[in-house]
Amino acid sequence: MRPFRNDRSISNAATLEAPTRPSRPSWTGLRPQSGPDAGPQPGATMPAILEANDITKHYLLNKTTVEALRGVSMSVAAGEFVALMGPSGSGKSTLLQLLGGLDRPSSGSVVFEGRDISRLSDSQATKLRRERTGFVFQAFNLIPLLSVRENIALPFTIAGQNPNKGELRDRIQQVIDLVELNGKESHRPDQLSTGEQQRVAVARALVTRPSVLLADEPTGNLDYTTGGELLEALWRSCEQAGQTIVLVTHDARAAAYADRVLVIGDGRIREEIVLGRRVDHSAAPLIARLAQVGL
Amino acid sequence: MGLNRLAWRMLAARPLRTLLTIAGIGLGVGVLAASLTLGAALDASIDRTVRDIVGHADLRISAFLEDGLSTAAIKTITSTPGVATTAAAVEHRTFLDAQTGDPQSAVTVLGVNPATYPQVHDLTLVAGSGFTDSSEPIALVTQSLAEHDHYTIGSPITLLGVGGEQQLRVVGILAGSGGVAGSGRTVLVPISIARTVFQLTGATRVDVQLDPGADPATVAKALADRMTEPYVLSSPADIAAGLRASASAFQGTAALIAAIVLFVGTFLIVNTLSMTVGERAREVGLLRMAGSTRGQVVRFIFSGAIVLGVVGSALGVTIGSAFAYLLATTVSAATGVSAIVTGIDGPSAITSGLVGLGITILAAIEPALRAARISPFEAMRARFDLPSARAGRLGWIALVFVLVAALALVAWPPAIAGAGAQRALLVYGVLLVATLLTPFFMRPMARLLGAPVSLVLRLEERLARGSLARDRSRTALTLGSLVVGLAMVVALGWSAQAARASANAWLQGVIPGDEVVSSIRPIGPDEGIREALQQQPGVARVTPIGTFDVAYRGYRLDAAAVVGADLLADGRLTAVSGDRTAALSSLDAGGSVILPEATATRLGVHVGDTMSLLLAQGGHLDLRVSAIVERSIPATSGEAILVSWKDATDSLGVAGADAFAVRFTPGASQADRDNLSATATQYALEASPIAKIQGAVADALSRVFGLFDVLAIIAVIVAALGIVNTLTMSVLERVRELGVLRAIGMSRRQAFRMVVVEAWVLGIVGVVLGAVVGVGVGVVMLAMGGTLAPIAGVPWVPIEIAAILGLALPIVAAIYPSRMAAKVSIVQALQFE
Repeated sequence: MRPFRNDRSISNAATLEAPTRPSRPSWTGLRPQSGPDAGPQPGATMPAILEANDITKHYLLNKTTVEALRGVSMSVAAGEFVALMGPSGSGKSTLLQLLGGLDRPSSGSVVFEGRDISRLSDSQATKLRRERTGFVFQAFNLIPLLSVRENIALPFTIAGQNPNKGELRDRIQQVIDLVELNGKESHRPDQLSTGEQQRVAVARALVTRPSVLLADEPTGNLDYTTGGELLEALWRSCEQAGQTIVLVTHDARAAAYADRVLVIGDGRIREEIVLGRRVDHSAAPLIARLAQVGL
Repeated sequence: MGLNRLAWRMLAARPLRTLLTIAGIGLGVGVLAASLTLGAALDASIDRTVRDIVGHADLRISAFLEDGLSTAAIKTITSTPGVATTAAAVEHRTFLDAQTGDPQSAVTVLGVNPATYPQVHDLTLVAGSGFTDSSEPIALVTQSLAEHDHYTIGSPITLLGVGGEQQLRVVGILAGSGGVAGSGRTVLVPISIARTVFQLTGATRVDVQLDPGADPATVAKALADRMTEPYVLSSPADIAAGLRASASAFQGTAALIAAIVLFVGTFLIVNTLSMTVGERAREVGLLRMAGSTRGQVVRFIFSGAIVLGVVGSALGVTIGSAFAYLLATTVSAATGVSAIVTGIDGPSAITSGLVGLGITILAAIEPALRAARISPFEAMRARFDLPSARAGRLGWIALVFVLVAALALVAWPPAIAGAGAQRALLVYGVLLVATLLTPFFMRPMARLLGAPVSLVLRLEERLARGSLARDRSRTALTLGSLVVGLAMVVALGWSAQAARASANAWLQGVIPGDEVVSSIRPIGPDEGIREALQQQPGVARVTPIGTFDVAYRGYRLDAAAVVGADLLADGRLTAVSGDRTAALSSLDAGGSVILPEATATRLGVHVGDTMSLLLAQGGHLDLRVSAIVERSIPATSGEAILVSWKDATDSLGVAGADAFAVRFTPGASQADRDNLSATATQYALEASPIAKIQGAVADALSRVFGLFDVLAIIAVIVAALGIVNTLTMSVLERVRELGVLRAIGMSRRQAFRMVVVEAWVLGIVGVVLGAVVGVGVGVVMLAMGGTLAPIAGVPWVPIEIAAILGLALPIVAAIYPSRMAAKVSIVQALQFE
């Protein structure tokens, strides 16, 4: 099975059949900077790369305090694939934002690679996001006026590095190969299908070889097949390259790709469901377990 | 909730944008109100001045020659059918005792007949009494002169005249300027005293009141038949027309700039309302879905526009007072026509307010129609965008531009119609073409001019350039307004530069000396003053110059008596026709005349022709045109024709020189110059180095053009308000993008810089296009003003000023939106709609 289905043009189909292209891209070249050398088994033996310690988050909305998170503690091991699941408004996206340094908790701490990131200055948090984390959003969030290649190279450009030279150029080419967007490097986002746009977003998130990839409903805007292929690819990056992934979703099918599922409701972790690393991503065990605990 | 309240909320939702738009409208209306008020104030001032000059007279007969009208001529006038009352007067400039040398202290002496003059002119006394005896050595002084020089009733006063000093006693003080035009430093004396002091027999002018029902034209014809001496006949209307003409160029340029500021303001309004429509497309779509008619949607947009127009116009009328005061002060200093402005007058306030409101409504038509065309289905899309609307926006701007021009033509001051209106229209047209072409140049120029920035700020430049290309129409409007403002700065600066260069070159090319020693009275050859100056150490040569009027084929011409040999030796005058050397060599012998090119062209006279000048005593003096020169000696109302001293004194009645051009020896020291100046003062003369005269001319020009620059800068400021609006909108539209960029590692500083670079690219493209368009506008202005010549030079300084403005103002304008971009909350920005 190809990691991504090209869902647009005949020319792309031809590209996919190019003899030099491996039938399945390798993730090993994209191994995270601080990740393990090989695809690990998740859980007990690996140290926690990301921890939340009793974090709360309050918002003031029209003089009313909204409690988005009410004391959440969790940890993610290096190379682990964790899904945060829950209904709309449960606080899962807020938790992801705090884990990624996009926002600060009202109380509690977030420890990333042994460092409390909940009290970082804005510039320190910026540096962390630029160098150690990668984000994929539901809305793709590509810069419309930049080409595919420019969008992927954006983290390097922001860091003031020249993405057209040496190792960076090779890295960009690797992710372009990986997401199978060869031949479309100079296209603008509005010239791509939704699936292709999300692949660009994934490539942009992976190009810096982040320690943790944080994905917020990445399949929310994709059709069933394209969404499945994206999840497959994320899983494989975890499996083959040891990429740590935290995925936010309300979809049991997506959560079923994770090693562990944290069910969030009303600002708290309501349930932890350990699925383990599985080649079969059937959602049935997860759905059964959710039903069992009444969620 | 009514739709009108929704319109209010729409404006209140974006307070900065609303305030900036109101400020833009206000500035445009303010300049227009000031321009209209100035026009009204000038009209009132001119009417007042005319009343001061001619009083209740229906006609004024002035002497053509310096020795005035004879008593016989005065009797002829008095006995002409239709003439009811005559008031003969001698008007002469001189100094009072102990004040010689300083031209500021000169006074106008008016010798009047105490019996007849008050019948024609109102004289109001604030102290003392009037004349009782027509031969008593008494004087009335104006209040301003009395206050400035400390005269009171009974003070002695001494007049300096050709016939020596005359002791007088002040018996009365006249109110204000005393009903006499000029600086207000006027001394009224009995006419017999004035005749003695200035050695005249008749009068320099006679004011005439006609019989009731008498036709001025018939009386004028009767005078022409009966008078044997040359004279100039003028009516109050002629005098008013002359005064209006002197201020017309100023008024015309002020009106043109007002139209341009309004036009730039129109860009701002169209952009603002278009942005609002784009931003509110969903609401409009919902309204349509809920059953609103297209008409209701149009009214909804118009309601917002009317609020902007009314508030902006009210603000404009308020700030217009300050502009009007500034304009009036400058026009008074530049033209001598005193315009009194105490605030915006009613009609100007109403007209400018209505124009402001009208333009706002005009500018709202296109966005309103666009809003009405929004389909509910389209509006519900995540990203609303109608490319066709963007093209329409530029087309609409062109239409508004034409309508503003049509409005301006209707309201154009009648005194400055003709060439002034043509020039304004042409300038306006060049700006329109430039605006419409802006979108085509914008993208390649942004790429080219942004390249150096990308070497340092690669990401910021790339994103900034892309952002400018996002809504080309909006950027084009923003850039267009900046280009128009900067182009006017360049064009006006170039005009000032050309005028200064032309004036300097004119003086340098025609005055045969290093200094000009001037007198307010003709100095006869037998007074020995020229010789006294000649004997001063360091003086190589003293050339007398006498200016006077001559009559030729019914034209009054400025003339100057000069020494041809001195002009030849000094290398002065450039012949455009005829042999310069031969013409100057033969000039002193008499019988020939040298014409400036402008006069020769106007009269249709060529080298070899004979000009027959009317003589005071009757008969003609025939002079052969020996050469036509590029520029001649400056005179009262233009350039003088040059004749020999022989012809001037023997035939044309010139009493003496009113200026001496002094050439120093090459080694002359500053002490020599100071000594000459001191000697000149002893003879009631004023010595001015050419450089000082050039400096005074330059100062006068700088005052006028400085004001125009201020008005043009207002246009640039309005454009800068548009930039704030556009950049703010651009940031608001890109909040999500900014959130993404910040999420993947862009720092706040980078986000700030990105918007600043966007403004900078806008500014640099504006500067380059503004400079090019400004040079184009300048060519039009200079060509139509007849000063387009190599001497005008390249307008580097105006371009530099435009560059500083064009780069600095957009960056200042970018501060707020940049801070906004830097403060974008990543979490809020990434919330999915």
